[in-house]
Amino acid sequence: MAEYDLTPRMAPNLDRHLVFPLLEFLQERQMYPDEQILKSKIELLNKTNMVDYAMDIHKSLYHTEDVPQDMVDRRVEVVARLKALEESAAPLVNFLQNAAAFQELKADRQYNLQMLNDRYQIGPEQIEALYQYAKFQFECGNYSGAADYLYQYRALCTNSDRNLSALWGKLAAEILMQNWDIALEELNRLKEIIDSKSFSSPMNQVQNRIWLMHWSLFIFFNHDNGRTQIIDLFNQDKYLNAIQTHAPHLVRYLATAFIVNKRRRPQFKDFIKVIQQEQHSYKDPITEFLTCVYVNYDFDGAQKKMRECEEVILNDPFLGKRVEEGNFSTVPLRDEFLENARLFIFETYCRIHQRIDMGVLAEKLNLNYEEAERWIVNLIRSSKLDAKIDSESGTVIMEPNHPNVYEQLIDHTKALSGRTYKLVGQILEHAQAQIAR
Amino acid sequence: MASRFWTQPGSDSEDEESDYEEEVEPTGGETTTEPGLNPYLQANASDSEDSDDQKRVVRSAKDKRFDELSATVHQMKNAMNINDWVSLQESFDKINKQLEKVMRVTEAVKVPTLYIKALVLLEDFLGQALANKDAKKKMSSSNAKALNSMKQKLKKNNKQYEDLINKYRENPEQSEDDKPPEEESDDSDGTESVIDPNDIVSSDNEGPDEDDPEEDEPTEEGWQKKMSKKDKLMDKQFSKDPSEITWDSVNKKFKEVVAARGRKGTGRFEQVEQLTFLTKVAKTPAQKLEIFFSVVSAQFDVNPGLNGHMPINVWKKCVQNMQVILDILVKYPNIAVDDMVEPDENESQKGPDYDGTIRVWGNLVAFLERIDTEFFKSLQCIDPHTREYIERLRDEPMFLVLAQNVQEYLEQVENYKAAAKVALRRVELIYYKPQEVYDAMRKLAEHTGDGDYGEEPKAAEEGRAPSSFIVVPELVPRKPTFSESSRTMMDILVSLIYKYGDERTKARAMLCDIYHHALLDQFSTSRDLLLMSHLQDNVQQMDISTQILYNRAMAQLGLCAFRNGLITEAHSCLSELYSGGRVKELLAQGVSQSRYHEKTPEQERLERRRQMPYHMHINPELLEAVHLICAMLLEVPNMAANTHDAKRRLVSKTFRRLLEVSEKQTFTGPPENVRDHVMAASRALVKGDFQKAIDVINSLDIWKLLRNREHVLEMLKAKIKEEALRTYLFTFSSSYKTLSLEQLSMLFDLTEAQTHSIVSKMMINEELLASWDQPTCCIVFHDIEQTRLQALAFQLTEKLSILAESNERATEARIGGGGGLDLPQRRRDNQDYGAGSVAGSGGRWQDNMSFNQRQGGGAGRTGYNTGGRQFNQNAGGGYNRDRTGQYRGTGQNTRYQDGAYAGSGRSARGSQDTSSRMVSLNKGLRA
Repeated sequence: MAEYDLTPRMAPNLDRHLVFPLLEFLQERQMYPDEQILKSKIELLNKTNMVDYAMDIHKSLYHTEDVPQDMVDRRVEVVARLKALEESAAPLVNFLQNAAAFQELKADRQYNLQMLNDRYQIGPEQIEALYQYAKFQFECGNYSGAADYLYQYRALCTNSDRNLSALWGKLAAEILMQNWDIALEELNRLKEIIDSKSFSSPMNQVQNRIWLMHWSLFIFFNHDNGRTQIIDLFNQDKYLNAIQTHAPHLVRYLATAFIVNKRRRPQFKDFIKVIQQEQHSYKDPITEFLTCVYVNYDFDGAQKKMRECEEVILNDPFLGKRVEEGNFSTVPLRDEFLENARLFIFETYCRIHQRIDMGVLAEKLNLNYEEAERWIVNLIRSSKLDAKIDSESGTVIMEPNHPNVYEQLIDHTKALSGRTYKLVGQILEHAQAQIAR
Repeated sequence: MASRFWTQPGSDSEDEESDYEEEVEPTGGETTTEPGLNPYLQANASDSEDSDDQKRVVRSAKDKRFDELSATVHQMKNAMNINDWVSLQESFDKINKQLEKVMRVTEAVKVPTLYIKALVLLEDFLGQALANKDAKKKMSSSNAKALNSMKQKLKKNNKQYEDLINKYRENPEQSEDDKPPEEESDDSDGTESVIDPNDIVSSDNEGPDEDDPEEDEPTEEGWQKKMSKKDKLMDKQFSKDPSEITWDSVNKKFKEVVAARGRKGTGRFEQVEQLTFLTKVAKTPAQKLEIFFSVVSAQFDVNPGLNGHMPINVWKKCVQNMQVILDILVKYPNIAVDDMVEPDENESQKGPDYDGTIRVWGNLVAFLERIDTEFFKSLQCIDPHTREYIERLRDEPMFLVLAQNVQEYLEQVENYKAAAKVALRRVELIYYKPQEVYDAMRKLAEHTGDGDYGEEPKAAEEGRAPSSFIVVPELVPRKPTFSESSRTMMDILVSLIYKYGDERTKARAMLCDIYHHALLDQFSTSRDLLLMSHLQDNVQQMDISTQILYNRAMAQLGLCAFRNGLITEAHSCLSELYSGGRVKELLAQGVSQSRYHEKTPEQERLERRRQMPYHMHINPELLEAVHLICAMLLEVPNMAANTHDAKRRLVSKTFRRLLEVSEKQTFTGPPENVRDHVMAASRALVKGDFQKAIDVINSLDIWKLLRNREHVLEMLKAKIKEEALRTYLFTFSSSYKTLSLEQLSMLFDLTEAQTHSIVSKMMINEELLASWDQPTCCIVFHDIEQTRLQALAFQLTEKLSILAESNERATEARIGGGGGLDLPQRRRDNQDYGAGSVAGSGGRWQDNMSFNQRQGGGAGRTGYNTGGRQFNQNAGGGYNRDRTGQYRGTGQNTRYQDGAYAGSGRSARGSQDTSSRMVSLNKGLRA
């Protein structure tokens, strides 16, 4: 199933620390040999400051107690640097930890800077040091500390570029701490900045959007409301263009979100077109499923694809999230997906049929006869389907539904008289006003 | 004979020159009138010049001059007698001109006495005339005017000769006596100058009045003389000790030659040869370079007309010279080529060991572009069906290697902007070549590379001039290096251009890139490029050749889409090209004659100049076939679907018209051309006879031009079957209550799954009011076809709502927009009706109108092709007339709109239909 694994395509657009959860997931799913994953983990950690962790992995990978010298060296270096940064940021950190002093801060940034400078001798250097310190904390894996410091830093920072990177850092930290609500807030803030800021080149802006979308996947597939919000975000023209040009693999997540959402959206049709267009650059069972149902009307194909989709979902770090309930572990998204996909097929199928054999239908829906009957009855009862079951012949009969010609005509003309009256009224009013003048 | 110049290079000639300078200066300065030379005299002069006996020739020329002079003096006397100041004035001008010639021929230091005498006479007469007030009053107005201007001219002129005049007045006799000996000395002077023509030329040109047109003739003489003796001269000069040739002497000579450039009668070939000779004697690399630049530009001058092309052998030499220039530049990296600043006079004096940059004036890119243009032009001019054309094509690698070298050099000196320009030239030679042609070119370059370059000219050179002073080894490669595939080559070049090029270069490169991708069947890539670059939006503002390139790219994109089986896309790419019936013109592949207006010769010439050479053509028959087949596949089912629907949407107007014409024919013979074939296929398709349609289409012989012919035909077959099925269902669905799937798939030779998919699609799109009966695998038709009455009722309601809408708009404009809107409002209504009867739908007229407005506005802008512009103006005019509120009948209006619409495709290319295409190819705007 590794062919549908998107990790290699996603990783370049994520922070090193964010790739980590993906690797963990892959390890769990046993998609690649353990060794390979561990190696890539070490590689990943090499550039961060989480040297201890890297050492652990190294040990388990090579089953030794020895640690390569460069790692040890690096550890010393990291600790030294941490000390140095801690020192330089100390005045500001102390101030922030001092509750009484903290009270003195007001909403006015200029005032705060002035005040800090005058009374605590905390100048721009210290504030800059805070940023560096926070960054270092993040690199070391101390996300909550980093998030706090970055929050403070943003309140004091005046450089808009720095502010932006602080925001990225904060978002990453929140994601890694799994504070989805806060992360979502940060995400929206970041999005606003990206959309409104003028970038040096359009390419930069697109790149930023791509990053944002990749990072947002963590939030959207964990947050309760995420599945509608992902559509709102990804389906915006600017973001959809970014997907099409630079990261077509994101189509998978958007497609899944569309399928999982109960409510049919007007944009869905356009999205189908996008999928068709992107066929040449990206396809996986999920998009192919949609193509089968909505473009080729190939229901047997859709059937097959549905089964493949299940696999894909289970192996996707975002979609295949497990929820432990007692002794069971389920993948909620998979169940929802299958349910909705079934509905998709059925809906389309019904639209073009007048009479359907229940047996065939049951087979198409991956259900047994009884279940299928119950399912259909439920649909009819909830008036989602205008049909009747003929149990003698074992068929479902759709009620024809064609608008009456006369009704249509009346519909067309009904509004006309009203419009004309309104028009006449307007003209009269105008004429009177002119006479009065 | 000529040795004088060389044996005593410094002082002697220099002195002479300075003398001449003084003399020539005043005369040249004051004569401002045009050269009114007697052509016979001139011809005679040059004729006789060619003969061997130089002495006699010169004498006769000189005598002639004197004869002329005295004749003019005689004329002046006559004019004085009859008091005709007008002719007197003319004669005066003439005499001044003649004087100059005489001076030059004789090399005289002194002005001839004859002239002074004339001046004195004139002065006296003028004084008399002015004194005699009565006579002056009696003069005709023109005469009086001439008198006044004469007065001033004479005053000015005489100032220069004041001394001489006074001397003459004092002692006229003596001056007269002086004459013969003076002539004698003149003669000797003249002989010498003939022997060493360079001196003459230099003396003439050294003066400040270099661009004085009157110097033409003498200069020519100089050249003529020089030509006749040129070889001899060169030998002589070479036999001398090289050390005696100094930088100064070479420089001086170089300046002379260059100054003669562009003059009337300067032998262009001769100039080239002289300069080439000079390159050999150049003393420093910088000088050599400088002279080489002049050689190249002189070579460009060889063919001055815009329409003809440079002779091929000159072109080849030109390329070689450029290579040598590059050799020099590569060998002496401290020489910088620049065209921004005028370098120091003696910059090129600095020797090869001078440290620091030596600036030499020149523009490599401009030269290269010119060479390319000449190559292009030669291909335009040569008949493509001759061997010459093929021979000429073989020169292409020669240019490519030069371009490559120039580009490398420019990159080396970090002039990336210029390098991008050169890269574009290379791209433009490659982009239209499919891989096979590219490979062939590569092989050609590799095989013949060694033989072609260098040898032939070397042999020629060796015979005459064993060595030049500055020997530059061939440093830059004489053989082009090609990437394995044309695509990689394109990628390298194009990415350089995208990085450093200016707007136009980038746009052109992008179009070439699109074309090339399309050529390689990468439809989606090239479509993405097209949409990402937003070229469609602003191609309107670009120059014509870029617009042609755009059209070519679109045509190729259409062909590519067709090969990939994307019928709709192919049609939307091509339909615009065909909507005006001017494909040839739009692709610059021929001149189409228009019925409606004659082109002026000027327009025709312009058009001819932008034609594509034959080997770059996109096969017009293939293009037409693809367009018509696409239109057929889209339009035939569309026609069947909306047989009596008022708001039928035409997919292809062109196709419709053709079909109508072909249906009108009483007898239809077997198809002959592409159009007939497609029409025959369409007729079969309308009846649902897919097999016949396929056979007819297959019988077209243009398919052999397609690379993966089998594949394409297979695709086409499937498409035809599909559309036949759809047409059949549209046409005959009303006759059936049910139809079984099996039967249908049998009928159209499709698999059941395919049939099912096609029919389902039609059901979902509500094209077919029917549904499947799953247990029996039947299509059940819902018999809810509208009756005619009902259909008409629907049309009525639609028109009513259009009426209501336009009323609303009208009131809105009136009430909301304030006064002064009376006329536009009426116009709007006017168009409304017209549109209503044309299209019968509300949505359409708006399109039409907005388009019209655009056209009105766009008339002044660059519409491609002159014909289109003309049409535009018509349309614009109509629009204006409409605006003045002149009422037009509905029918007339319709026609007007039709006309405007027909004109749309060609003039407002890309603007009007962009929206629709953007939808069909919608990829969205990319940030």
